[in-house]
Amino acid sequence: MFSLLYRMVRDRALAEDLAQETFIKVLNGIKSYRPEFKFSSWIFKIANNAAIDHLRRKSIDTLSLDGSPSAETPEQMRATSLQLGDRAESPLDEVESRELGTAIERAIARLRPEYRSCILLRHVEGYSYEEIAETLELPLGTVKTYIHRARNELRVYLEDRRD
Amino acid sequence: MTDISMHLTTDEIELWAQGLLPAARAIHLADCSLCRVEAERERKVILELVQLPRFAPTAGFADRVMARVKVPTPSRDWTA
Repeated sequence: MFSLLYRMVRDRALAEDLAQETFIKVLNGIKSYRPEFKFSSWIFKIANNAAIDHLRRKSIDTLSLDGSPSAETPEQMRATSLQLGDRAESPLDEVESRELGTAIERAIARLRPEYRSCILLRHVEGYSYEEIAETLELPLGTVKTYIHRARNELRVYLEDRRD
Repeated sequence: MTDISMHLTTDEIELWAQGLLPAARAIHLADCSLCRVEAERERKVILELVQLPRFAPTAGFADRVMARVKVPTPSRDWTA
């Protein structure tokens, strides 16, 4: 669950805060747990909602090192990209750039948050399409569409990088 | 029933990447270069995803969580 949160928000300290918030909600709200759901799905659902809420509040869902995915010109890419030299890099930043700096991690970061949750649950957590639909409260067809689109986008990002 | 000449769907390509593609469809894959290229590209992405490392929170995380959880204290009968 921490891995999902970390990859969603790409900030270790924030991911820990959200994980903490998730576990406190789970443990304090244990009476509202419905046993017909998988317990881990319930936890992932609360964690994912916390991450999505955070991203919506902060409107950083399209923020990436390479600039906004909607940027079409080099000028727009530069204007929307993160400038790493703008602030001194702390030891924690170094850990994050080491952990999330690979091509695949950077490609995941460029996906829409909804695509990101689905693809991480499917291929990193090993959930079935049905379990993802239940966890994220999405129609099964939507989950399939999101995962297929996410994989296509990842392919394009990764192949562009290799060219 | 799926026509053997039909190209693989994205679901079938995922099954193939997991080693679960039914034999009848595997025949098509063996004969169709378009599907093989597509399946190989898809497999590479899936492989990169499944090999991603797991991350753990910093030490003391569980203690910090438990410190903020309301643990119900059993009511005690002081007269007993």
